[in-house]
Amino acid sequence: MSELLVYIEVNENGITDLSLQCLAKGAELAKKNGWKVGGLVLGAGVKDCAKEVIAYGADTVYLADDARLKSFVPSAYQRVLTGFLKQKNPGMVIFPATTRGNDLAPLIASELDLACALDCQNTDWESGKFFSRRSEFDGKVATKYSASGSRGLVTSLKDGVADSGTADAARTGQTVPVEVVLNENDLATKVLKREVVKSTVNLKAAKIIVTAGAGIGTKENFALVENLARAFGGEVGATRPVVDAGWTTADRQIGQTGVTVKPDLYIACGVSGAVQHRVGMMMAKKIVAINTDAAAPIFKFAHYRIVGDLVDVIPKLLKLVK
Amino acid sequence: MPYNCAVIVREIWDTRDLVGTVLKEDGGLNEAVLTTRFEPEDLNALEMALQLKDKQGGKVTAISVGQPRNVDVLRECLYRDVDAVVRVDVPSVKDFDTATLARMIANTAQKAGPFDLILAGLDIVDGENSLLGTHVAASLGVDAVTYVDALDEIAPGRVVCKRQIENGSEVVETKLPALLVVGVALLKDDPRTPRSAKATLKLKHKKTPIPVSTLQDLGIGDPASLKTTVLAGYEGIPQRVIESKQVDPNDEPSLKSMLDDIRRGG
Repeated sequence: MSELLVYIEVNENGITDLSLQCLAKGAELAKKNGWKVGGLVLGAGVKDCAKEVIAYGADTVYLADDARLKSFVPSAYQRVLTGFLKQKNPGMVIFPATTRGNDLAPLIASELDLACALDCQNTDWESGKFFSRRSEFDGKVATKYSASGSRGLVTSLKDGVADSGTADAARTGQTVPVEVVLNENDLATKVLKREVVKSTVNLKAAKIIVTAGAGIGTKENFALVENLARAFGGEVGATRPVVDAGWTTADRQIGQTGVTVKPDLYIACGVSGAVQHRVGMMMAKKIVAINTDAAAPIFKFAHYRIVGDLVDVIPKLLKLVK
Repeated sequence: MPYNCAVIVREIWDTRDLVGTVLKEDGGLNEAVLTTRFEPEDLNALEMALQLKDKQGGKVTAISVGQPRNVDVLRECLYRDVDAVVRVDVPSVKDFDTATLARMIANTAQKAGPFDLILAGLDIVDGENSLLGTHVAASLGVDAVTYVDALDEIAPGRVVCKRQIENGSEVVETKLPALLVVGVALLKDDPRTPRSAKATLKLKHKKTPIPVSTLQDLGIGDPASLKTTVLAGYEGIPQRVIESKQVDPNDEPSLKSMLDDIRRGG
């Protein structure tokens, strides 16, 4: 029987939510085409994850647990994965669209002569073939990708592709060890240092989010945005430039390389509304935008458009909210 | 000590704030409404190579595939003082998938090299990945470091880079030759901010012939046989229709009415 494979990313905080979303998507497709779902778990000290992956929908977990896989070295992970996948001749391998998934997917595709489509919003089984759809052209067009000939497809899927589902501890499945054969060359790349902030906030669950964009201009103004969030009983979000500038931590980043949120109320302060940010928040129920630039793209999809300087506008709002 | 770099440069669709209908009735791209630009992360990659050359010496070679549409990216590279350029002479990049383009670029780099570093920008159009760069690295059999923020150190046989990952960063060392995929630079004072074209070089290179490599030169007999991924079609994405109100920040009653609306869930 054919098997659809899902790469399960494990980091400091355990299995990532996006990996579980990918697994749920895999299970949904498998229901359609009658395939089995296999989870690929690689790392050091990741044995305990196998049970969880089965509880979340995998029929089999392929486990490579080896001290040499402690750091993410793409060439080493690729060697282990391709060694295993070569025997499987997979029709579909799903990766979470993260820096890690997007590194591995094309390496695997290249090595095994498979098709590759990254950063897709969805993937589906239609008329006996897999198709991945990727939002392109400013979110106006979905481009459909599939594999040429009878080869398999390797795809990476973005946050929001499915609900991560709930664990069913009663589910049973098999755990199969994967052989780890690595040479010196596979481990030539070394991670000298890794700095990751631990997530202190769950923006996905927040009903109200007040976000600071590059337009806030200074770190002091970030505090103003924080005040507004507090007054509304919401969380503070940020765009990537604000995180890059060091005004807040990366766990508050919304958009392309951050989280995707769907709050009831989204107040964008000094956010221009570039597509990289928009993809992470455009499904908010109500969007309020404050920006000095009346031509900012954010105003094209805001329910309430406030053209003005946030330094003047926020105190006025604070007064009215309190 | 000098290091030789190759930089992959592309002319891409400018998809920022598109107005007009992107798809034609027959489902094809409405190219008439689309413009192009120099892939901005490729410019960051070019800057990284030029800075290395300024500091350590060595040569920078720019490689591109296909014919220019609005922006001649290789000439733009000459205007920024690269030492050599090569165009892979195919009518259009649209005819090929990324794996095939990567093979063309890898073979070009092999012919024009050897290089210590091959640099590319992230693919940033409606995504952020290193599909092309990683395929080129795989074709060349070298290690890739992706989402690179900065080149921290380079020494004979090794390079150290800082790369961005979710919620933080990594410092990674790899062996030379290596392929670096340069990440997105958003801040004004980012060291990757690209330099401008130089007026004197613009004059000098206005008519400089751009050397070309044909598929035959690159030993690619049948590019169709390299194709792995099919672009199966385009579908319009329904756009969210939003009822939008302008609120005057200097008029307290309007602000209050907005807040009341929001409280009512309106």
